[in-house]
Amino acid sequence: MKITDASIHPYPAGDSTLARMAIEAAGLGFDSIVAIGDAGDQHHGIEVLRGAVICAASAKEVLRQVRSPAIRGADVVYVNAGDISFNRAVVSIKEVHVIRNIHATRRNAFDHVAARSAAERGVAVDISMAPIVQLRGTKRQRALQRYADILSLQRRYGFGLTISSDARSILGQRSVRDVRGLCALFGMTGAEIGEALSSVGRITEPHQPVRVVG
Amino acid sequence: MKPRPPSMREKRRYILARILPYGVKMDQKQVYFSVIEAATSLWGDAAVGLAQPAVVFCDGGYAVVRCRRGTEKDIATALATVNTIADERAALRTVAISGTIHALRRRIKPIRPLSEAGDVKFGETYFTVYRYPRQKVDLVEKGIKHQKSLFFTEADLEER
Repeated sequence: MKITDASIHPYPAGDSTLARMAIEAAGLGFDSIVAIGDAGDQHHGIEVLRGAVICAASAKEVLRQVRSPAIRGADVVYVNAGDISFNRAVVSIKEVHVIRNIHATRRNAFDHVAARSAAERGVAVDISMAPIVQLRGTKRQRALQRYADILSLQRRYGFGLTISSDARSILGQRSVRDVRGLCALFGMTGAEIGEALSSVGRITEPHQPVRVVG
Repeated sequence: MKPRPPSMREKRRYILARILPYGVKMDQKQVYFSVIEAATSLWGDAAVGLAQPAVVFCDGGYAVVRCRRGTEKDIATALATVNTIADERAALRTVAISGTIHALRRRIKPIRPLSEAGDVKFGETYFTVYRYPRQKVDLVEKGIKHQKSLFFTEADLEER
């Protein structure tokens, strides 16, 4: 079971290089990280997975983008969430692994239909720590409400969750212990947090039927 | 005034937090304001009033935050939401929680630059280079206030 920070944005998107963020992640208790837009292998004992984010206005555009070489080469493919019809369509695309930015969407943008499809297709929903850490007041309250809503759907339909720091700097990275405290704010239990932190491993290496070779 | 006997005093817990970025000298009062702002916005006035957080020590890149026993997890969570100290980008990393400051002092490992600061030019900007253990290199833009910081490793710096 690998504890993974599901998305970081190293230099030049942020102010810290991938190697430096990997050193920090190791010190904070992570076994692996997903670097958005950066190819990596192993840095200071930390496994670095390559992530790609699709930001599209329609499902058609997502389908077009997943065929591009940059997305095909990624270990984990993220799609920024949109409105209700977009999210319902996106969770049924085979190449998509995770829906992110769910806190920025409208209240019912990810509903029970999308949740059921996500559970059937093995698509996870990303819980970003950035809005909880960076935002204040009503904006943070709204993000916590959205996460609590996603959690109730997850408990009912059983789709995967990932937890990411969404850090653009080493100053934005948080330890596993801090992540546990922050996730407890919207009612996640210790077992659910452990499951979510290790779910990237299940996305990259899903359980498949045993094949007899030779 | 006669002090209360130890059995009648309130039980306290102390949280040791590392201040990031390294090498930045933070005023104890400013750290206190940041901690209170983060805790109040997260837990509200009532909860923070009962927790009684206070910064009792701030030196060498570490801060010790005192709170009432039983509230230490809430205050540690609030420390994770600290983004700025005195209008400068910063983070507090919880290192340990203990019942005595003495026990926490043993956990403090001073973080000092390995060698004398050097200079490097990136594009049009001049940076001061600070090297730290584990090949960490911090680049701080030359200037008076609100300088940009970059966080590299030795290998990253050599590549550029």
